[in-house]
Amino acid sequence: MIRPALTVERALWWGPGLALLLILVFAPLFFTDFYLSQVITKALWLGIAAASLIFLAAYVGMVSLGQVALYGVAGFTMANLVVADGGSTIAWNPWVATLAGILVAVGVGLFFGAIASRSYGIYFLMITLAVAVLTYYFFAQVTELSGFGGVNNVTRPGIVSNPVTDPQNLFYIALGASAVVYVFVRYLARTPFGLALQGVRDDPSRMRALGYNVPLLRTLAFGLGALIASFAGILSVWWNTRISPGSIDLSRTIDVLVIAVIGGLYRLEGAWIGALVFVALDNWTRGLDIVGQRFNTVIGAVFLAIVLLSPGGLMGIWQAITDYIGRQLSGKPPARPSAGPADEARTASNSPQPS
Amino acid sequence: MRVSTEGGRVRLWALLAALVLVLVGTVAACGGDDDDDDGEATPTTETGGTDGEATGEVIKIGVFSNNEGAFAPFEGQTFGGAMLPLINRGATPVSGDPTDGVENATIAGHPIEIVYGGSDSTPDKAVEEARRLVEQEGVDILVGPLSGSEGIAVANYSKEQPGVTFVNGISGAQDTTLKVRSPNFFRFHNDGTQWTAGLGDYAYNELGWRNVVTIGDDYDFPYSQIAGFVAEFCSIGGNVTERLWPPLGEEDYSSYITQIPEDVDGFFMGVGGTGTVAFVKQYEQLRGNLADKIMGGIFMTDPVILKELGDQVVGVVTAGMTSGDSQEPAYLEYTQQIEDSYPDLAGTGSSVFLYGYYTAMEAIAQALEQVDGDLSDEHAAFRDALANLELDAPLGTIKLDENRQAIMDNFLQQIVEDQTGDGVPDVKTLKTIPEVDQTFAGAFSPETPSPDRTNPACEEGTPPPWTEQGGGG
Repeated sequence: MIRPALTVERALWWGPGLALLLILVFAPLFFTDFYLSQVITKALWLGIAAASLIFLAAYVGMVSLGQVALYGVAGFTMANLVVADGGSTIAWNPWVATLAGILVAVGVGLFFGAIASRSYGIYFLMITLAVAVLTYYFFAQVTELSGFGGVNNVTRPGIVSNPVTDPQNLFYIALGASAVVYVFVRYLARTPFGLALQGVRDDPSRMRALGYNVPLLRTLAFGLGALIASFAGILSVWWNTRISPGSIDLSRTIDVLVIAVIGGLYRLEGAWIGALVFVALDNWTRGLDIVGQRFNTVIGAVFLAIVLLSPGGLMGIWQAITDYIGRQLSGKPPARPSAGPADEARTASNSPQPS
Repeated sequence: MRVSTEGGRVRLWALLAALVLVLVGTVAACGGDDDDDDGEATPTTETGGTDGEATGEVIKIGVFSNNEGAFAPFEGQTFGGAMLPLINRGATPVSGDPTDGVENATIAGHPIEIVYGGSDSTPDKAVEEARRLVEQEGVDILVGPLSGSEGIAVANYSKEQPGVTFVNGISGAQDTTLKVRSPNFFRFHNDGTQWTAGLGDYAYNELGWRNVVTIGDDYDFPYSQIAGFVAEFCSIGGNVTERLWPPLGEEDYSSYITQIPEDVDGFFMGVGGTGTVAFVKQYEQLRGNLADKIMGGIFMTDPVILKELGDQVVGVVTAGMTSGDSQEPAYLEYTQQIEDSYPDLAGTGSSVFLYGYYTAMEAIAQALEQVDGDLSDEHAAFRDALANLELDAPLGTIKLDENRQAIMDNFLQQIVEDQTGDGVPDVKTLKTIPEVDQTFAGAFSPETPSPDRTNPACEEGTPPPWTEQGGGG
């Protein structure tokens, strides 16, 4: 692969991202503890949840509503295996419980992935929606594991410290996890496995004809999505120090979908951008009298505006701006850097899916 | 996004406008953070003290309730209750809608700044909202939350914030005070268990019930309510054959109603929030009139719900910390004050939502007055005043036990046909059970298992003193 030279457009595309990263690395210097914890850290782990959805949507063509359920599986598993109020009485080391939570979530992800792997489009969406509802009711009904009130005062690994009084550690952990997820997915997309996934996204029939086991690839991809989602689940439990069925109900599922769409469903970066906008808007509108704390109305309006104006989300808007400025500066016809699978994905999603 | 050449410019401008809007929103959100450090009034808050009388330091009080979920219909009552003590001390309501709050509030010469919040009955959201009010808005005192599981979570959170005093709104789970026992969390009303005092006795001795089924929402508050009923009813020889737990916010109760055996003597109905009306209507369709078959929790006599249910529930016996037919001058004065301040809330004085938030704010006001608004030394004097307060409330005195949980009277009452001519059935108080404490006359302690789907077990034991068998008659 030939590396394109540094162009104005590339600088425009990546510059703000790097600036944002720098601000984030030094965020504890600029923001109050409350803002660092309740807005930025929350946006980071919600961003990871959205990233698992965007990974599936953009690289494998699977728009899943099950990601919140899968992060719930990880979170509930972890919370039940350590000392906590409510849930099971097992008391493992928090690190072992964390690992177990991730493994169980991946296992559950592979299981549901196998079930859903032969479905496409709206049918796949419905199966993952069923997973979300099933998981919610499972934890709401099985009071030995949770019940409505959930599991409270979950013991965290020592390194996390108290997220209320000392939020810096958890912030850096969430930032690190986000970076790992981002780099991992970007790397994965260039491996033969990642290319095969993108092949499945674009034309499953042709991939089958070429000898690929398409359901297996889709199942594995769903398992990987569960792995990413499980990070978000574990972080949410560390951050909240509790988890309840309310943490993974249908409205949280929709929240994550809204975040992904606002950020840009086919841009990995969009996950965190969308999450940041979502959480900041939530926090801001709660203090506003005019909207009377009706956050859902505001986010609904923003969502509608985004869907109507820019199906590519905020990242799509940013793309349009950099394209435009780049064109004005260079006076050349648009020549965009290959920064992601945006165009291919859009083409794929517009064409009817074979079944 | 690739912009096509024709019309592309128009579209780009639209995109830019949208981006700017979102950015402005985000920046304003970040900016909102800084304002509060200077103590400037944000759009949500009203600073008092314009009358020149209040000269002390501003005291910030956060009030939060539910503005989404199964209990959202009670938001107005909760805010009305919380605002009333302030209005009685000279504050003026912003509008006829209690959620708009009050302005020019003062207590003991200190201007009171109120910050408002809302959650959705889930513990996660309640803690998130409590954290926003405490850590971002910097409130000194926080009033709330509304729902049972929320209360346990917020009480746990209060341990992380020793500098803030928490006073419960109307969340009624037993664990909140009996198990969590946070030193800076106070509850000036009875919990769900205490509210059922007298029901088991009435069911066994007056109605002659022996085999009973319970049904309640599957979370901490109904667990506490049904725990109280089971403890009392079983201690004197009754038998609870089954406990049904539909999820909170359920809309179709038919599958649960068909699980209630036809041959039981009656059942305890603990379905609350938006579910109460749905349950009663569906029961009537499936099984016919339920008035002589059920005993209700606190929701049946809530004025808002009673209005919806109408004559369907005439005859039902319930219990709770309010008695709508009280003729005590203090109570009549209180209901008149509600009507004068918020005409829309007329007739809802007996709502536990209104009364719970009212007692919370009234207790805060009286304690602040005792210490002249002194919140120094992590509120030491103020908390001492709260803990030792004998609150002279409209329906009797309220005092706290060593876990900062209220001990107060409970009222056994029956829903009767409308006598006041407003088209809404009335309630008739059958019996007053004085000074019910949280241990329920020894049945519960910090060591007994938390009330849940199966606890407490239905066992014969020492009857509580207010029952016939316990010598209360």
